Amino acid sequence: MDGIHDLGGKEGYGPIDVDDDESPFHHDWEGREWGIAQCARTPGITIDWWRHCRELIMPEDYLGRPYFDSWAQTDFSTYIEAGWISLQEISAGKSISTDADYGEPATAMTLKQVLQEDHDHAVRFDAEIETPPAFAVGQQIMTARHGSSGHTRLPQYARDRQGTVHAYHGAHVFPDLSAQGQETHQHCYSVMFEASELWPEAKWSQDKVYLDLWESYLTEA
Amino acid sequence: MPDFDAKKVAEIHQHLHSHLPSESALRVKALETLLVDKGLVNPKTIDAWIEAYTEEIGPKRGARVVATAWCDPEYKARLLRDAPAAIDELGFLGKATAHLKVVENTDEVHNLVVCTLCSCYPFSILGIAPPWYKAAAYRSRAVRDPRGVLLEFGVDIDVDVEIHVWDSTAELRYLVLPQRPPGTEDMSEDELAALVSRNSMIGTDRELGIEIEAKG
Repeated sequence: MDGIHDLGGKEGYGPIDVDDDESPFHHDWEGREWGIAQCARTPGITIDWWRHCRELIMPEDYLGRPYFDSWAQTDFSTYIEAGWISLQEISAGKSISTDADYGEPATAMTLKQVLQEDHDHAVRFDAEIETPPAFAVGQQIMTARHGSSGHTRLPQYARDRQGTVHAYHGAHVFPDLSAQGQETHQHCYSVMFEASELWPEAKWSQDKVYLDLWESYLTEA
Repeated sequence: MPDFDAKKVAEIHQHLHSHLPSESALRVKALETLLVDKGLVNPKTIDAWIEAYTEEIGPKRGARVVATAWCDPEYKARLLRDAPAAIDELGFLGKATAHLKVVENTDEVHNLVVCTLCSCYPFSILGIAPPWYKAAAYRSRAVRDPRGVLLEFGVDIDVDVEIHVWDSTAELRYLVLPQRPPGTEDMSEDELAALVSRNSMIGTDRELGIEIEAKG
């Protein structure tokens, strides 16, 4: 979707606040939200659907509220949409019985178990598919002129642009359909764009931007 | 099960905009209370995740990977060829690093990593992303004005050095392998790891040096 989240190349956001004490969490609630996001398990919710729900946050909230706050808001929205919690329960501030089957209550995990879980959650997104890749490393490609109104991972700034296939990654889960609950795989490539192809002020630049793009975003140049 | 109904989610966000408390702490508390009430999450597990990403998992892991690569050319070759397997040798494979790629800085190339569409980050080797990495200013500008961005971090890249920006919007994640500073030939792997800044592994730092401690 052409939403507020698609920030690459947008102007007017000003200087970067580079000061940082390198602590992972700057408020207790940030750590709580990180933990909630790691241990909450809801059947059927894909990472791409979760990302799309985050993109759908109202623009003033997306830009105006703290980062982990937007994670909490996204969690709320995915749970409510899936029928696991209700708007009435949010108003009441407590659980009201619903028809959802929550299964056995989540058990307490120790630090050791959590570290093992982190290691075990090195999730792979690739798979073998029968169709051979359409593009070869070194080949010139054009990116699609349009995105889609759903979730997509072709940023606006890289649409209708010429690039060069830099590397082939195998077939990866296609996010546009994964955000609709369908797991399909498409060949995925690292594509190199000259900065001069992307930005009017970069005419003489030798800098490059690399993006990992799925096959259906690309055509032969 | 979700219905994957984007229109419904947009309505939910409008409702939450008006009905959730405005303070972030209270919003997260409301979420935790409901999920714990329903047995969907356990508060002790939340504690454990916070401890894991405060005490155990963080940029020290990435620094160890870099120092190992500096000291062992064979490890470096494995790291550049198959980063997930190479970091797993050190026990660091995990969340968001199954499709890790390592990009090497040279005299001719400087690498910089961003995610313009959300804030994708290689959690299991760098921990929680810094606030600036998740902010609109960095996400919008890194792909368009990388030299200006780097100047704000105090890094002036020579015009002869190409900047390669990696916009990690797919499931691949990128770790920058900074250059080993000159004059460190006699240093141990531990001493080298202490030189590797978190920002150098994202690309907002370049020349790592031996910090001269103030004499008191």
